[in-house]
Amino acid sequence: MRGSRYLLLAVLVVGVALGWCQGELNKDLVNKKIERKVDITSQVVKIATKITLENSGAAPVKSFLVALTPEEKEKLSSIIVQSGGSVLKIRETKVDEHPDVAFYKVDLREPLNPSKTVNVEVEYILTHILQPYPASIQQGEKQLVKYSGNHYVLSPYPTTTQTTTVAVPSPNIESYSRLKPTAHTDTSITYGPYESVAAFSEDAMSIHYENNSPFLTVTRLERVIEVSHWGNIAVEETIDVLHNGASLKGPFSRYDYQREHNSYSSIKSFKTIIPASAKDVYYRDEIGNISTSHMRIQDDAVELDLRPRFPLFGGWKTHYKIGYNVPSYEYLYSSGEDYLLKLRIIDHVFDDMTIDELLLTIILPEGVRNIKLETPYPVVRLADSLHYTYLDTVGRPVVSLTKKNMVEAHIQDLSLHYRFPSLLMLQEPLLVVLAFFFLFLMVILYVRLDLTLSKDEATESKMRVSSHCEQVHTHHEKRARLYEKLEEEIHKLKSSKDVAQSQTTTKKIQASIKDETQFINDLVGKIRADSTDYADKVAELQKVDKALRECVVQQLTNVEKLVSGKMSKQQYMDTDNPLHRKKEEALERIKSLLSAI
Amino acid sequence: MGAFGVFGLCQIHAFVDYLRSHLNKNQFDILFRAVISTIAITGILTLVVLAALGKIAPWTGRFYSLLDPSYAKNNIPIIASVSEHQPTAWSSFYFDLQMLTFMFPVGLYFCFSNLTDENIFIILYGVLSIYFAGVMVRLMLVLAPVMCILSGIAVSSLLSTYMKQIDEVKVEKKKQRFEGNYFMRSEIATLFVCVMSVFLVMYTLHCTWVTSEAYSSPSIVLSARGHDGSRIIFDDFREAYYWLRHNTPEDAKVMSWWDYGYQITAMANRTILVDNNTWNNTHISRVGQAMASSEDKAYQIMRELDVDYVLVIFGGLTGYSSDDINKFLWMVRIGGSTEKGTHIKEHDYYTPAGEFRVDKEGSPTLLNCLMYKMCYYRFGQVYTEGGKPPGYDRVRNVEIGNKDFELDVLEEAYTTEHWIVRIYKVKDLPNRGA
Repeated sequence: MRGSRYLLLAVLVVGVALGWCQGELNKDLVNKKIERKVDITSQVVKIATKITLENSGAAPVKSFLVALTPEEKEKLSSIIVQSGGSVLKIRETKVDEHPDVAFYKVDLREPLNPSKTVNVEVEYILTHILQPYPASIQQGEKQLVKYSGNHYVLSPYPTTTQTTTVAVPSPNIESYSRLKPTAHTDTSITYGPYESVAAFSEDAMSIHYENNSPFLTVTRLERVIEVSHWGNIAVEETIDVLHNGASLKGPFSRYDYQREHNSYSSIKSFKTIIPASAKDVYYRDEIGNISTSHMRIQDDAVELDLRPRFPLFGGWKTHYKIGYNVPSYEYLYSSGEDYLLKLRIIDHVFDDMTIDELLLTIILPEGVRNIKLETPYPVVRLADSLHYTYLDTVGRPVVSLTKKNMVEAHIQDLSLHYRFPSLLMLQEPLLVVLAFFFLFLMVILYVRLDLTLSKDEATESKMRVSSHCEQVHTHHEKRARLYEKLEEEIHKLKSSKDVAQSQTTTKKIQASIKDETQFINDLVGKIRADSTDYADKVAELQKVDKALRECVVQQLTNVEKLVSGKMSKQQYMDTDNPLHRKKEEALERIKSLLSAI
Repeated sequence: MGAFGVFGLCQIHAFVDYLRSHLNKNQFDILFRAVISTIAITGILTLVVLAALGKIAPWTGRFYSLLDPSYAKNNIPIIASVSEHQPTAWSSFYFDLQMLTFMFPVGLYFCFSNLTDENIFIILYGVLSIYFAGVMVRLMLVLAPVMCILSGIAVSSLLSTYMKQIDEVKVEKKKQRFEGNYFMRSEIATLFVCVMSVFLVMYTLHCTWVTSEAYSSPSIVLSARGHDGSRIIFDDFREAYYWLRHNTPEDAKVMSWWDYGYQITAMANRTILVDNNTWNNTHISRVGQAMASSEDKAYQIMRELDVDYVLVIFGGLTGYSSDDINKFLWMVRIGGSTEKGTHIKEHDYYTPAGEFRVDKEGSPTLLNCLMYKMCYYRFGQVYTEGGKPPGYDRVRNVEIGNKDFELDVLEEAYTTEHWIVRIYKVKDLPNRGA
């Protein structure tokens, strides 16, 4: 029993090993029918193959293989296998017997039972496979390109019947290889049906035809996405574009370009489609804004009609930047402190685009942790780095990835999971507040500190004197106003003749004048401590003021006398006139003294 | 380096203080004067000797032409050719300065009426700079600050004189006895202040307008109004420069008239032969000779200068008048001003009647020179204006004289949308026997 158990185990091991090998190249599978469509109307070649697979063996089959020639493998940009509307899992593999053929192993959704069939659809896109021939043309010439392929569908399985339809852009075909039966219409060439084709059959197909569709390649696309949790996502794309069709030979004539309209392969403008919510769109390059562009806002997208500064002929290139802002609520989802950023790895640049190299950089807010990236197709993730901009302390985490050879099929969303403590949102405003706080604090301290090593007596006393002099000025002004009031009272008295009432007010005013004078007298003492010069001047001022006061008081008594009838009008006039003159002199003197103080 | 210099200065200062503390005032003064004058005299002597030996460059022609406005015209055409070096017109003074032109003398008057050190400085600064600004338009920049200061003094003095008259009126009424009385003092003062305010407001408006119209619009992007009033933008310069930047070999050498030198260096990132630093007069003259010569002669010069591309500015299609044909006479003059270019004579480019014309009457030398051919290559087929024959130049307003010609040594490499910039590639030497 024991021996038989070992035998069973050995059989099982061999069986598994054999089964694996057979899975690589299952002789039981047969392509019952293949319909292939090759689209060579644009610069990229799109090949869609519909295969009806039959299991002619006895065991159920879980997977099958798709084969590509090495040339196709080299130019392959994207490959998708579908069955019944759902995408099948696919991975690259190798078969020892055919080292020069590239294989992809496709897992069927459910095992294919013996003598059953399944329909699968293989779609793949090849770039840079159309060769301009001739490689350089003159301005008025049409662009001819050459497509080289295989008349048969390369398959590891024998095929019962197959047809290939090649879609061409125009009826102008220089030549095409014929493997009978072939049929040619204005927009297509049909090869086949070919019956009973052996596995791995190859027969070179070549089509030389006119293709004036734009041969425009993005040689490098740098896409920078800056996420702000304040509600904005900024996108900037730096794009290098090359016209890689037949290069321009000889001169470029603007006259012919404008009048003859015969520059078939040149590219004047192209359309870029960006998200509908894009705002603040800019289109510029190293030397500033490019003034030749139009923006159309549509319901589901913003369409940019970009015109490079100059028309692009074969071999010409240009470089530009396009940038816009989108609101973050459309792309950023959150649950508590966990966030999910879902946005496109690349966006539309122009129809049937090819991107040779992409560098995508996502700049996340400062303090983001636990970054996890999911992409719908394999990419090369570069080492995370830090990005510093305004008010950053530890730097913003940057996720960058790169991928080569991309087409429109790669416009898909990536998912970036991360954790961001919401308290960190306040970090930058607080930083600014603190910075200003410290600035003001420093100023406050600096103003209050006396950093002089030795005291400068001369300036200090000068400053003291000037401050005292200022006080003298204010007090004197008050006094002058009081004099004016006094004079008004005198005038009033002349008309009202109410001596008693006038006396009470004038007494009050005179008292105030005395107060002010006393203040100034005190100041004289203080000033004298620093500068006798100024003190003398102020004392002089006081002296003149005293004379003035005496005049005014004299006038007052005179008027009182006049009103109460103790003095005749003539007498009053005689005494008042010299007083008036004296007063004016005093005023004049005060003026000059004040200006000197 | 700077820190070291400051350290040195501190040492000298400390040494002087030390000397001062050990000598009495008279001795120190004598010593100080002696040292300073020795240094000054040695310095001047060294400069003179070095200049005489040719070790340091003497004053440039531009400096001489500042002192003697006719110097450049007679000796160095390249300086006279620059529009910034032209004498300033009165209209230009008024355009830039408006009321400051009139306030300047008033300010001078107020400065003279109170001669302090500061005011004397302002007077000297003002008078000298207005002379220089009169010699060259570009020195308007030197004049601007002192104009502002002097006019500021004038306006402020005038206003403070008159404002006082309005202000004190109420107080004075009661004290009329104390001061002299003028006829309708307050009314006239008010009127004056109002007029002044109007002037100031107008000045502000004028300045804003000048800034927005003349000094803000980039001269590299031209704009015009279409028939329906819409704005047409001529972004041809940047179009051409960007084309050069991305679609010529990185080491390509571009020959153009020197006006576009800096622009090409900065925007196209290509090597140019001559640029706005017009220091290399003979080199510029060589380029002028190439432009003014016939195609074969020009080809020799271009091979000698190792030129890959030639760039010209042409306004005939759009009516852009500061193009190379309008500058061409200067190229001829500058080209002919050096030894190698003696065969280029200005009068060859005029008609017998002494006119500069590009139509059929024009001199054959002009109609066959490189500049003419580059500007008008294939232009003879273009209809520019309704009712006019093809090849009608909208700047010179004539039908060009030499229409159907081919270029032998050049090929059109790029022409911008509105034909303002035309770039030609210099063909390689033909293969032998070909």
